[in-house]
Amino acid sequence: MFPTPIHQRPIINQYIYKIFLPISLIIWLIPIFGILMTSIRGLGDITAGNMWGTPSEFLLFSNLHDVFTNTPMIKYTLNSFKVTIPTMLGAVALSCMTGFALANYKFRTNLIIFFIFIAGNFVPFQILMIPVRDLTFKIGLYNTITGLVLFHVAFQTGFCTLFMRNFIKALPQELIEAARMDGASEFRIFWKIILPLTRPAIAALCVLIFTFIWNDYFWATVLIQGDHAMPITAGLKSLNGQWITAYHLLSTGSIVAAIPPVIMFFLMQKHFIAGLTLGATKG
Amino acid sequence: MFGIISSTSFAGTLVINTDTSDAAPKEAFEYIIKKFEEENPDVTVKWNVFDHEGYKQSIRNFLNTDPPDVANWYAGNRMLPFVRAGLFEDVSDIWKDSGWVDGNLSENMEHAKKSMTIGGKQWGIPYTYYQWGVYYRKDLFTANGISVPTTWDDFVAACATLKAAGITPITIGSKYLWTTAGVFDYLNLRTNGYEFHMDLTLGKVPYTDPKVQAVFDKWDELVKPGYFLENHAALSWQEALTPMVNGEAAMYVMGNFAVAPLKEAGLRDSNLGFFQFPEITPGIPMAEEAPTDTVHIPSKAKNKTDAKRFLIFMSRADVQEEINKILGQLPINKNSSVKKGDPFLAAGLNMLNNAYAMAQFYDRDAPAQMASEGMKGFQEYMSNPDRRQKILERLEKVRQKVYK
Repeated sequence: MFPTPIHQRPIINQYIYKIFLPISLIIWLIPIFGILMTSIRGLGDITAGNMWGTPSEFLLFSNLHDVFTNTPMIKYTLNSFKVTIPTMLGAVALSCMTGFALANYKFRTNLIIFFIFIAGNFVPFQILMIPVRDLTFKIGLYNTITGLVLFHVAFQTGFCTLFMRNFIKALPQELIEAARMDGASEFRIFWKIILPLTRPAIAALCVLIFTFIWNDYFWATVLIQGDHAMPITAGLKSLNGQWITAYHLLSTGSIVAAIPPVIMFFLMQKHFIAGLTLGATKG
Repeated sequence: MFGIISSTSFAGTLVINTDTSDAAPKEAFEYIIKKFEEENPDVTVKWNVFDHEGYKQSIRNFLNTDPPDVANWYAGNRMLPFVRAGLFEDVSDIWKDSGWVDGNLSENMEHAKKSMTIGGKQWGIPYTYYQWGVYYRKDLFTANGISVPTTWDDFVAACATLKAAGITPITIGSKYLWTTAGVFDYLNLRTNGYEFHMDLTLGKVPYTDPKVQAVFDKWDELVKPGYFLENHAALSWQEALTPMVNGEAAMYVMGNFAVAPLKEAGLRDSNLGFFQFPEITPGIPMAEEAPTDTVHIPSKAKNKTDAKRFLIFMSRADVQEEINKILGQLPINKNSSVKKGDPFLAAGLNMLNNAYAMAQFYDRDAPAQMASEGMKGFQEYMSNPDRRQKILERLEKVRQKVYK
């Protein structure tokens, strides 16, 4: 088995592991700890240089209040859901179908189409910035939630297809053939046999896509200009004052913005980890 | 940007575009638009708020293609390209005609007239500005026996005394460059005067001019002995407040917006003070740095009659007083007063009302490309004063390219 479980390693390695695990964990968590600490401070503490010491006042609730009253944070949060959920549904639905087709049907361009889906994942999206902006502008979807959702669906479908195709490919072919023998239509096979069997993969994909899209900052700033469609990640910058970078409010706002994906992660933890490893081991 | 800007405007509709996306400016405009509508029930205002940064780009588009009736912008050379392109309406009649307002506008805003004037005409109405100057720790000055310097020699001597006492005389955070321009502007305004500063930012004078060299000679007197905060290039303007709060630095050449965070961090009127940047060349009239926000009428506006009413309304003493109470800034109309009990606003008001002229800040007075190269140069100079000659030669090359 790889990697070798730690308790089978030499005793010295076990000690090194036990010492360095907490240390690296702490180093890893320092930035998050910093954000938590900053979110309960006032700006005064920050200006006075008190970044890591005891906060002179406990202002978490007043910061929270400011985050929600100074800016349309509730609207931003709703926008985030309006972008994330349709994208998740759209990308997963499309990729179930493409994955099914690419995994089951033998046609000449099968591999080429599959590679085109995969290749999309290797294009750095900074390169796409200007063409995509122009495209959405010309279609009249610039600065709208629909435009952002459509782009996300298109872009995420590549990865999702890779994921679903490999998962479906690994299902026992006999099931499908048996169904065909019994005279089931192709759609019926997809609906009654494939979909129930891919449920763990679908769950895993949903969690992954939800976190990807929720945390998207780049496309939100490229394709959205106004408060009416701004998701929370990009909306956080409006917490700054005209002159001042409001570190305390930004920290509080970031925590608020991180809550939905964190909840999603804990609820679906099993699927999330399954999702990360599924694609890696099969296919 | 709220949706699509309507291109249909019927009689009695006044379309106003502003870049007031930040909280306080937005509130100020909400207030005045409501007040204007109350006073002029026959006018309906349609107000479009643009993102502050995006506006710089949008205004170029909408002035040509879909002009509103009123747009906000900035005074001085910032409005020059629009005036030259014939996109702003000449509003000299508002400035001239005393019948328009309660009193004489030219008199009440005389000190701000220069920055609104291009080619002998006025192109807009200023409604708010704020002062720049030196913010200092009163207690550190007292402890070291320093009184507020009014001449350059006193100022340099004060720095020497503070340095000897182990205090950084002047704090500055130059990570985002612009803070250095505040120092440069004042040194130039005081050494060579307002007219020369305007000529320089308009590209009429080479950066290798002896008069510019003279500015850097003065700057040398501060940089070479190490009177500025040491690691300034690593800090934002905001982070450079920390040494001042902690009593490790005594002065900051800054705009009035520094007062709020300093007070929030624990400084009080008793230990935080303000003084005018000291005189360098005796006899040169004292111009100040005061970035001014303005309102204009696009020359292609559809409803110029009501737009003019709005500009006159915006120039009124009582309206400017209210706007600036919300903004925490200074009214331009001399008959306005400021919030009582704020010594910084009072000092600023007094200083600006008596100023010879108003510079708008280097990055507003000079074109964007020149300003960005210039400020990079200033920062490099402050870190390596020995490279001064090379930097100035480089800026001169940029100048020749930018102002072609």
